[in-house]
Amino acid sequence: MGLVRTSKRKHRQLTRPIGHYTLGAWLLLALTILIPLLYGIYISLLDINLASFLPPQFIGFKNYTTVLQASETWATLRITIALMALGMTIQIPCGILLALALHQQLRGTKIFRSILITPMLLTPVAVGLTYRFMFDTDLGIINWFLGKFGIESINWLGSQTSGLMAIVIVDSWQSIPFVMLLVLAALSAISTSLFEAATVDGASSRQIFRLITIPLITPTLLVIVMIKIMDFLKLFDTIFMLTRGGPGNATTTIGLWTYKTGFVFLELSRAAALGVMILIITMPVYFLWRKSTRNVR
Amino acid sequence: MKKISLGRILAYALLIISSFASLFPLFWTFSTSIKNRIDTYVLPPKFFNFQPTTKNYVSLFKIKTFPHIYLNSIFVTIISTLLSLILGSLSAYAFARRSKFRGRTLLDALMIAVRALPAIVVVLPIYKLSSYFGMYDSIWTLILLYAGFNIPFAIWLLTSFFNQIPTEIEEAARVDGASNTRMFIQVILPLAAPGLVATGIFISLLSWNEFLIPVIMAGENAKTLPVFVASFISNKNLDWGPMAAAATVAMLPIVALTVFIQRWLVTGLSSGAVKD
Repeated sequence: MGLVRTSKRKHRQLTRPIGHYTLGAWLLLALTILIPLLYGIYISLLDINLASFLPPQFIGFKNYTTVLQASETWATLRITIALMALGMTIQIPCGILLALALHQQLRGTKIFRSILITPMLLTPVAVGLTYRFMFDTDLGIINWFLGKFGIESINWLGSQTSGLMAIVIVDSWQSIPFVMLLVLAALSAISTSLFEAATVDGASSRQIFRLITIPLITPTLLVIVMIKIMDFLKLFDTIFMLTRGGPGNATTTIGLWTYKTGFVFLELSRAAALGVMILIITMPVYFLWRKSTRNVR
Repeated sequence: MKKISLGRILAYALLIISSFASLFPLFWTFSTSIKNRIDTYVLPPKFFNFQPTTKNYVSLFKIKTFPHIYLNSIFVTIISTLLSLILGSLSAYAFARRSKFRGRTLLDALMIAVRALPAIVVVLPIYKLSSYFGMYDSIWTLILLYAGFNIPFAIWLLTSFFNQIPTEIEEAARVDGASNTRMFIQVILPLAAPGLVATGIFISLLSWNEFLIPVIMAGENAKTLPVFVASFISNKNLDWGPMAAAATVAMLPIVALTVFIQRWLVTGLSSGAVKD
């Protein structure tokens, strides 16, 4: 969103104090985010189990030591990182390619753009359901299609590698358009005179891409990486629908593991401790994200 | 010249293939939703050569709770979107016109937390809290939570829209003696109407699609469509027809929306990426 920023000083002369306009948002966010976060920290120090009728006891940092020693914590964290890495290596190049194709302003660009962004708008749960039967081992259309090329039926949701692949495929189907839109916005912001000047100076299209386009969209790419990190940490619906984190915990991410700990194993306090850990893990991402968005304008 | 046309051909090929890949799952879901069982579970798959049926939709609408669930989804989406828009536009105005005010830093941090944190971290304590206050399984709880989770997007988007409005207009209104509130309602909001529409559409999409909050916070009474759709895989025996019908019913309003409101969408979709 290329916007003109009017000078701050001018505003100050013009407007009377309006800080209190934020009161509503404040109240809403305090109620739905701040208080629950603080309360989450509090219950992570107790021993609440939803199946137990005993009054909760204060047990200090015991949940944290349990969580840190549990192999599942580290296994699910590794799976989360694997998903991130796999997802980004597919989604970012594909998004850039599509943006470059759209940026050529070929005939029909608008229609293509409309079609291409449709997947990102759809209900992830419904999308998961759709892919669930498309990925079917025996009768699914994906295996049928691959069979045309002599590829034997894959039990997509039945093993760790193929399960993670399936999750990345579905997530990519929904999130490549997002990368595409952001890169497209960055491309449109580059002044055409830059390209014209380079062409006049005899630069080849490859040189132009490498020396002008890439450096100028790099800040946007950094923003995309930050957002993708956050989104993979948040990824829940797709995994829930496709594999439920299975087989076993083979495709369970740290977020889904928190959910399972709390609502399947009913260890609410332990899940809260996991939640606090996720909060700490994501802390650096906040700062990097804020820093990276600052460079985009 | 040759090089350029080759690039064009490649671009077209890429766009056509990826458009097909974007639309095929939608076509396939819809086509599965209007097939009889014998046409569903066959290889090679039947693309067009089958007798369509409305059986799957009839069985879907026969489920007693289904209309209630659909209405829940619509109601929660509309009211929570309005709430985010009202509170969000007020805050966004403050953000756009004042660089500093009391509590801005914490508000900023909370908004980023919403964007960055997996919702489960927040929803888990909320679940525990709600049982104290008798707020479990209420659509009003959902409305409040959706609004809380979506208001950061509203604020970021609307701030950028308000920034586009030249301050000279307010200056003129000020000379005429307009108060802050009057100016906001009578001058700023009408000028930002396109922005409000774009923001509203984007946020209602987020609300319509939300799954984690209702799957934890809603029982039978406040159940929303995504939770209902998800329940189709809990039984071992997967029946594709009704599954596809349920998925179609959830996605249909969105597809209709994309056709009609293209131009509002693109602005909203890239929001939360580049914030002010």
